[in-house]
Amino acid sequence: MQMPVFRARPAGLKIIIVGAGKVGTTLVEQLSREGHDITIVDLDAVKVNDITSSYDVMGCVGNGASYLTQVEAGVKDADLIIAVTDSDELNLLCCTIAKQFSGCSAISRLRNPDYSRESGYLRDKLGLSMIINPDLEAAKVMARVLYLPTALEVRSFAHGQALIVKIKIPEDNILDRMTVAELGAKITNDILICGVEREGNVVIPGGSFELHSGDVITIVATSKAQQDFLKSIGMAQNQIKNVMIVGGGRSAYYLSDILIKRGLSVKIIEQNLERCEKLNELLPKAVIINGDGTNTELLLDEGIENTDAFIPLTGIDEQNSMLALYAKKISSAKLVTKINRTGFIDIINSLDLGSVFFPMYITSDTILAYVRAKTASPGSNIETVYHLFDARAEAITFNVTDESKITGKPLKDLKIKDNTLISYIGHKGEAIIPTGSDVISEGDTVMVVTTHTGFDDIGDILE
Amino acid sequence: MNSRMIRFILFQVMRIEGVLMLLPCLVSVIYGDGEGVFYAAVAAFLIIVGFIGCRFRPKNHSVSVRDGYVATGLSWIVMSLFGCLPFFLSGEISNFTDALFETVSGFTTTGASIMPAVEQMSHAALFWRSFTHWIGGMGVLVFLLALIPMSGGSNINLMKAESPGPSVGKLVPKMRYSALILYIIYIFLTLLETILLLFGGLDLFESFCLSFGTAGTGGFAVRNDSFMSYSLYIRWVAGIFMVLFGVNFNVYYFMLMRQFKKAFCFEEVRVFFTIVAISTLVVFAKILPLYESGAAALTDAFFQVTSIVSTTGFGSADFDMWPSTAKFVLCFLMFMGACAGSTGGGVKVSRFMILWRSVVKEVQSYIHPKIVKKVTLDKKPVDPDVVKSTHVFLATYVGIFLISMFIVSFDNHDMTTTFTAVLATFNNIGPGLSLVGPTCNYGFLSVFSKWTLIFDMLAGRLELFPILVLFAPSLYKK
Repeated sequence: MQMPVFRARPAGLKIIIVGAGKVGTTLVEQLSREGHDITIVDLDAVKVNDITSSYDVMGCVGNGASYLTQVEAGVKDADLIIAVTDSDELNLLCCTIAKQFSGCSAISRLRNPDYSRESGYLRDKLGLSMIINPDLEAAKVMARVLYLPTALEVRSFAHGQALIVKIKIPEDNILDRMTVAELGAKITNDILICGVEREGNVVIPGGSFELHSGDVITIVATSKAQQDFLKSIGMAQNQIKNVMIVGGGRSAYYLSDILIKRGLSVKIIEQNLERCEKLNELLPKAVIINGDGTNTELLLDEGIENTDAFIPLTGIDEQNSMLALYAKKISSAKLVTKINRTGFIDIINSLDLGSVFFPMYITSDTILAYVRAKTASPGSNIETVYHLFDARAEAITFNVTDESKITGKPLKDLKIKDNTLISYIGHKGEAIIPTGSDVISEGDTVMVVTTHTGFDDIGDILE
Repeated sequence: MNSRMIRFILFQVMRIEGVLMLLPCLVSVIYGDGEGVFYAAVAAFLIIVGFIGCRFRPKNHSVSVRDGYVATGLSWIVMSLFGCLPFFLSGEISNFTDALFETVSGFTTTGASIMPAVEQMSHAALFWRSFTHWIGGMGVLVFLLALIPMSGGSNINLMKAESPGPSVGKLVPKMRYSALILYIIYIFLTLLETILLLFGGLDLFESFCLSFGTAGTGGFAVRNDSFMSYSLYIRWVAGIFMVLFGVNFNVYYFMLMRQFKKAFCFEEVRVFFTIVAISTLVVFAKILPLYESGAAALTDAFFQVTSIVSTTGFGSADFDMWPSTAKFVLCFLMFMGACAGSTGGGVKVSRFMILWRSVVKEVQSYIHPKIVKKVTLDKKPVDPDVVKSTHVFLATYVGIFLISMFIVSFDNHDMTTTFTAVLATFNNIGPGLSLVGPTCNYGFLSVFSKWTLIFDMLAGRLELFPILVLFAPSLYKK
């Protein structure tokens, strides 16, 4: 006789997270909120205690790569192990050992450029489900913003067919005091405003919503339509040709690599001489300056006033913020600021630091999309999940594979939840910015923007 | 210093030279010119002494960097001294200085001759002249390493001292196989050229001599007018092979191993080919008015550029009569020389690249005082020590060059002669301009100048330091 397997909640997965760092904590927060069974493993008992006292998860103190610790954490009937410790080697070892003893899927974080170049090979050979490189992902996101410099944030989805672009409406712009419906009638119907942040509140706007100067809006459109729209509202695009980066860490390396391949000239200011030499080896075309990036004289010497883009990527958030503010004051450069800790989001948002990135959201978004897709019903699966407005809204891309309640009906006839918007339909290779009369069919890619959390099926959008 | 080991190496070199000297004896027997007696006598002496000397094996086989340099410098001197004996004893070259000049010119693959008319020489002498190029091209110590198994891992210091280029590495983990692979490639290419020359209607003897001259990038010919009376086909075959022997041999190794991607990504080799192509076009454009047909002009432009850039020094035309720009291009190529790891001489393309990039780096450091930038080659940073030694090399090179010119200037010839005599011997080319031009020879120089140029040829072939260390007083202090 077969024993029935009991589970508290059928949809929840058993997930082991190894490493209670920033990404680990963010993952615990988001995955536990979605109802999964989480066990956090770390060597540091204090960190584990902190997490278990803040979230409804189990803790386990020990070396995540050791078999005994993994057994204690319940690897035998886990569905997924996520290794996000500081050490790449440890992460790979965790996943490899777990794969030996259980049928769970494994996600490993891998940051060293030596390995990340061969991450595809490692993933296949070690049988991992996903190898994630937060620095590389962050660099890709930053590079996209530099491509569309007036935007605060640019994300691509549906295999690059369309972009989500975040902009701040400048003073006295034609969008000021214009309703969303008027915008569609007067300017263009090719774009969709899928989120507005005003004074700290996030709204998914309806047709009668009136835009104000100072609002931060998120727009979904094809990349061509985005450019046309930004031009028509008078936010002119100056192509960025040279970039100054302060701090030569891994994300600086990945970012420079992308930018140099795109033909931009890159200057990196780094304090550590050894790191400078290493960077010079890795990026022979970049200008590497050895010096203190917080020294304003050095910044002036190296031409901060005339640079097209200024990107502080030091490991210290306070320095990044100060550098961005300083650059804001003396130059008209496009600013991209990396913030590692989420604790002071409100203050940071009020500082006007240009495009602000939180690398751990980028990591957790990718992992979250994977977890959602794993739990999703067979009829629809998740391609990407993006957090908009610092995780206060989500943009989820579903692949609709089967017929369901939402297919075959005009959108205006569907009873969709509050604060939820179907913002994009990819139909047979064509990008549609949907209106009420559009229809979702099988095989479409659909993006939904919502302030609700935990959608793992396209059906979840209905009341 | 491991003087026993150095002595042992010297005896080995003598033994090998003795064995190799049997080949001209064979040639002499075939052509019945009777000169073989002298080669046989010297060969017998070398083999006997070498064998007796080699019986005293040193216990300690280690070769330090210094030992490698000293052993290499001394080997080449010993080799030249014994190598010139047959010329001197047979009376074909009556003067000892001249005989030594000719032999050193042969071993160092210079190809500068003191003989006004080579066609009168015996077959044995002509063969030995050309064969010294072939031995000196890849190096006798590399040959030694390929043949004789030596214990201890420090033998690479011998190869480092003898092989040209700013940094020398192994091809495979075992030194002996690295040396063997180099020689196999060398022999294969030489035979290939010989066969192609045979198709051009030359006889076996001439084909072999010219192949030896090309392979070692030497330049001794068997006719008085060097290459001027050969057909266009022969000139193109020799021209192409001169380029091939001027290329870093690692390229051929990677091709042999079917790693074509690696073979084609040598930055130095690509720069080398680019320079050859550009130089050929410039020279071609400048000399076209002197020729009736474009094909002949292009052939001579290509032949002369490859002959000079590979530091071979064959002459298919009297380039001394060419326009100044063409002559300047050739002079520049004399300085630059071939790739590191080839059989060619000169400063080497890779050193020029390192020097050029050092200049760029220096200029940049004035614009950005705190810039961090390394000199790179093949997209990898060059070890700062190598960059430093390249700078020192250049300084030493210029120093020796100036002192040599000063000494030769006492002969009171025109400036072009003085300058190019040193230039063409120091870089192991052969013919210079004016009185030492392609149709002339070095016989008229004073004994004093000839000894200076002998020193220059040895120093140039061994890249200065193996010869210079022999002059360091501290070496001889106990």
